[in-house]
Amino acid sequence: MSKVKTLEEAVGLVSDGDVVALQNMATQAAPMALVRELIRQEKRDLGLVCLVGGMAVDWLAAAGAIDRFIGAAVSMETFGLCQQYRKAVEEGRVRVEELSETALNARLAAGARNLPSLPTRGLLGTDLIDVNENLKTFEDPFTGETLVACRALVPDVALVHAHRADEHGNVQIEPTIVWPDLGIFPKAARKTIVTVEEIVDSEVLRRNPDRTVLPGFRVDAVVEVPYGAHPTSLHPRYGYDARFHLAWTKVSRDDDATKEFLDAYVRAPATQADYLAAVGGSERLIEITRT
Amino acid sequence: MSEYTVDEIMCATLAARFRDGDEVCNGMASFIPVAAIMLARRTHAPGLVWLAGAAGLDPRPDRVPASTLEAPLWRDSVMYLEQFSDFWHYAQNGRNLGIFCVGAAQLDMYGNANNSVIGSDYHAPKVRLPGTAGLGDMGSLGKRLFYWNTNHNPRSLVERVDFRSAAGYLDGGDERERLGLGPGPEVVVTNLAVLDFEPESKRMRLVSVHPGATVEQVQEATGFELLLPDGDVPETTPPTDEQVRLLREEIDPDGLCKREAGVK
Repeated sequence: MSKVKTLEEAVGLVSDGDVVALQNMATQAAPMALVRELIRQEKRDLGLVCLVGGMAVDWLAAAGAIDRFIGAAVSMETFGLCQQYRKAVEEGRVRVEELSETALNARLAAGARNLPSLPTRGLLGTDLIDVNENLKTFEDPFTGETLVACRALVPDVALVHAHRADEHGNVQIEPTIVWPDLGIFPKAARKTIVTVEEIVDSEVLRRNPDRTVLPGFRVDAVVEVPYGAHPTSLHPRYGYDARFHLAWTKVSRDDDATKEFLDAYVRAPATQADYLAAVGGSERLIEITRT
Repeated sequence: MSEYTVDEIMCATLAARFRDGDEVCNGMASFIPVAAIMLARRTHAPGLVWLAGAAGLDPRPDRVPASTLEAPLWRDSVMYLEQFSDFWHYAQNGRNLGIFCVGAAQLDMYGNANNSVIGSDYHAPKVRLPGTAGLGDMGSLGKRLFYWNTNHNPRSLVERVDFRSAAGYLDGGDERERLGLGPGPEVVVTNLAVLDFEPESKRMRLVSVHPGATVEQVQEATGFELLLPDGDVPETTPPTDEQVRLLREEIDPDGLCKREAGVK
């Protein structure tokens, strides 16, 4: 059965209050078209799970779509801190469950495997254990060592962006770095929504089955969205859009300018083609594809 | 003596700490450590194993790129390590990937780090920092932590971190050992000096001051009393002419380390 949907239909699977595992390294491979649709549909009270959140987290915080964040960091790397997220946390509008990478991975792996928890040695000796009810130290029954138990985390939905998929939702990537976002998020989440650069015939996937990283039986919706990660990168297809990141860092310290920016680039463009035209059109896309 | 800039003495100092055959990872926004790794691999440590951005094994970027956690940093890697199933398995096992180069918003006299919050209440912070990321693991996993800091001042080198988001030597002495945590912070390279941790008390100790800086100046810029080495405090060895040439012409022609260190 075909799982091909429109952006609007796919994001319709997300409910207010859901915990959303969002693929998103600092400047890499975020499903930004889905993020824009979350904002357009005015989702509220979402929790976000990210390894390292970037502009997507900042936009969702600015739009008032999230009230909690679970993850290891939020940063746009050389483009600096995410100011709207930071402000939302400092004003108490977003609560942060900060985890180390192994603790986040352990929570998700426990969720994926239907276990109540999994342990890590990470975070021992830090204050992060004391402020988090989902982490508890315990004594290993075999060695007596002190370890950190990380409670299972089952996100309601995982949002990811990749290179290609077939209509059944089998997802394939080109040779690239794979973060837990693709490695574990969809295994742990109840639902998975995927955007891809292109939907292809299954015959194309059959040529390189070792590059298929996500089986269609775990995917609920697949949407073809060219440049669906813009302004983040999708290695090796295109780089991040540095100019667009800089433009965001300039406006994001000011709430009015932030709203204007989101109106122009998120709320106004009716389609992905409109969005790509707004951010500079084919000329700009050729530039980021070269980097 | 050759002319050099502060990023260059920091790169050369970090590079000298890497031995041939060591295995090192870099993190986000880490131009100086990446340049130091590239410098070591081109000079005394060609067999230094580099896992770029904890993801790309032994890459060959043609220069320090605009991001240290993005392509083209991992150009020509021999392997991409999947973060969940590859990288953290090797890193959590003590046999591999022993060195982690990292920065911290606050670092205290016992090498504990804070990248979480400024202020006394975690849930109502004065400033929300990016978050602990991999450092919250590396601090507890017995890694040799190489800290670097391009702005040595009393707000970043503090007596006690506001919030401990990565374990250093905790409250000093043998506390780390008692928790079974293995090796910890090894060195702190700043724009003014090189520091380490005195073996008994585990308190931060001055190793050398960079030429042009004084012990008084370094102490003034530090938020706690530094331990001093026996005898006179030596000067940090400056980079050689060849190291400066490699850094300027081949490794970092775009001057990203200079920008990171605030060199005009």
